[in-house]
Amino acid sequence: MTDAGLVLEGVSAAYRDARVLHRLDLEVHRGELLVVLGPSGAGKSTLLRLVAGLHPVAEGRVLIQGRDVTTLRPGRRNVSMVFQSYALFPHLTALDNITFGLEVRDVSRAAARERARAAAASVGCAHLLDRRPGQLSGGERQRVALARALVREPDLFLFDEPLSNLDPELRVETRGELKALHARLGVTSVHVTHDQTEALVLADRIAVLRDGRLEQLGTPDEIWRSPATVFVARFVGSPAMNLVPAGGPVAPEGMPEALGPERLLGFRPEAVRLDPTGSGAPATVERVDVVGEDAHAYLRLADHLIVARVPASARPAPGDPAEVAVRWADVHVFDAGTGQRVPL
Amino acid sequence: MSTEPDRGHRQLRLMLAPYLLGLVVLVLGPFVITLALAFTEYDLIRPPVWTGTGNFTELTRDPIFRTALVNSLVFAAVAVPLRLLIALALALLLHRRAMAAGPARTAAVLPAAVPEIAYGLLWLWLLNPLYGPINQVLALGGQNGLTVFGRTPPQWLTDPADARAAIILMSLFTIGETFIILLAARRSLPHDVYELAALEDATSWDVLRRITLPLIAPVLGLLLVRDVIQSLHFSFVPALVVTDGGPPPYATTYVPLFAYRTAFEYLRYGYAAAATLVMLLLTVAAVAVQWRLLRRYGRFHDR
Repeated sequence: MTDAGLVLEGVSAAYRDARVLHRLDLEVHRGELLVVLGPSGAGKSTLLRLVAGLHPVAEGRVLIQGRDVTTLRPGRRNVSMVFQSYALFPHLTALDNITFGLEVRDVSRAAARERARAAAASVGCAHLLDRRPGQLSGGERQRVALARALVREPDLFLFDEPLSNLDPELRVETRGELKALHARLGVTSVHVTHDQTEALVLADRIAVLRDGRLEQLGTPDEIWRSPATVFVARFVGSPAMNLVPAGGPVAPEGMPEALGPERLLGFRPEAVRLDPTGSGAPATVERVDVVGEDAHAYLRLADHLIVARVPASARPAPGDPAEVAVRWADVHVFDAGTGQRVPL
Repeated sequence: MSTEPDRGHRQLRLMLAPYLLGLVVLVLGPFVITLALAFTEYDLIRPPVWTGTGNFTELTRDPIFRTALVNSLVFAAVAVPLRLLIALALALLLHRRAMAAGPARTAAVLPAAVPEIAYGLLWLWLLNPLYGPINQVLALGGQNGLTVFGRTPPQWLTDPADARAAIILMSLFTIGETFIILLAARRSLPHDVYELAALEDATSWDVLRRITLPLIAPVLGLLLVRDVIQSLHFSFVPALVVTDGGPPPYATTYVPLFAYRTAFEYLRYGYAAAATLVMLLLTVAAVAVQWRLLRRYGRFHDR
């Protein structure tokens, strides 16, 4: 137990009467970077705020490095948080923003400044220290907020969608830097996002959250290759995974046994082959979206619409007939009723 | 291309016209007349007689005016900071959603909604040395009309120092507008900054000193300037209604009351205009000094 960086034990939370987290159990290993992934309203931010102590725990316990912090006030939990809005003090320079946490904890001014400079240098904002937030760009503010979180050397880092306010190019760059930073510091981190790419790239493990419940906890590989539920399967991946009832229009090649309609077959758009070998299911191309090198072809099979990712150079034209084939190895099987993965 | 801004300007002028008209006729006109009258002797019956700077030299020698001027300055120096402080304290106390915060906010605003004369008459009763509630409360537990500590309760309407205190006391309750502005200013501050402070375990004193005060300082500065200008106004009615400029010798005669008496009771319009002008210049000087200080502070705030 004491080995864990963060443990949530049957934690629930509510806003007034609306429950947003339901008896959540979660364990983050020491030094691990856990990404909490989920759609808006899944309770991701509440989870983070609850760990930080900014939101009350309705039931359950929160432990940070084996220490029960459930009833401790935020300042006594030794966590740092990077807010989505960065929450920089507009009237203070970047340097004073970074030293704030040290100064209110009675670290001497000189020592605080020295540590702030070191923290700023480690995230590449040492040249911005004299400026105020109003004079900084979004990316620069983000770095200052990061330096402020680093400077105190907390037990736990909390990131609340810190990349969502950056433009796409900067987001990719910063994502890489965050990962490198985590590898260097090795501090337990919880990073909340709704961006699946961010989650897959950054995470040691991903916790997929839906309506206040944990859908799946696993490495990015596990989340991608064996999604535990239909929800995870559809939420991670773009375009989303195709789902058709077993025994329906698509019969995967090499399927060992026939499955009834109580099972759902899932396969990713890149697993769909359009080459007409004669054995595939007949379909009509309804729409084709070209995304650079890729094309997403939407195929109509009776009542079902299936997406295939094909090279843009070999894309079919709308209205063309096509044949759809999928290999059994690429197929995930789910229970149609519960949405749970069916092990094979 | 050039017609668009032209049209905008025309519309702007049209919409500003009523205000500008009012400003010229009701404010600038009288101001210019006052300015001119300050250099004359005028009693409303005979035409004004040019006396040059005669009125001003007389003012410098007039002990009543000097008293009035000192009274006004002391009033502003004491009442304005106290008013701001109280309004700020109330705003910081009542900005959260809490039990009875709504009624408390209403109570804080209400005195400012009472018409000035009625407010004055109300205080005339409150301050009555014998049967006024204030002195009755002060005399609780004491004997022979003395306070618990065996001292005479303040003679609000008859002792010069107590009367000045009474006028200041009266002004401390009409802070509704200041309170509302500070309340709105506090509530518009970003929430996340306070959450961050909580994560850093900042004490409430640190939060007040390092976050709240600096962030609402621009608003406080503006209110300070406004209150200094206004302090001339809100000493007039109480002094007229409650203390009648007394008790002797002119303990609560402030410059506005001095000008009012000189003009409408002694019919010395020129002299009153000169007194008004002096007060105006002092106000302008005070505002200019504050403005410079604020500008220097404001540089840190440009976003």
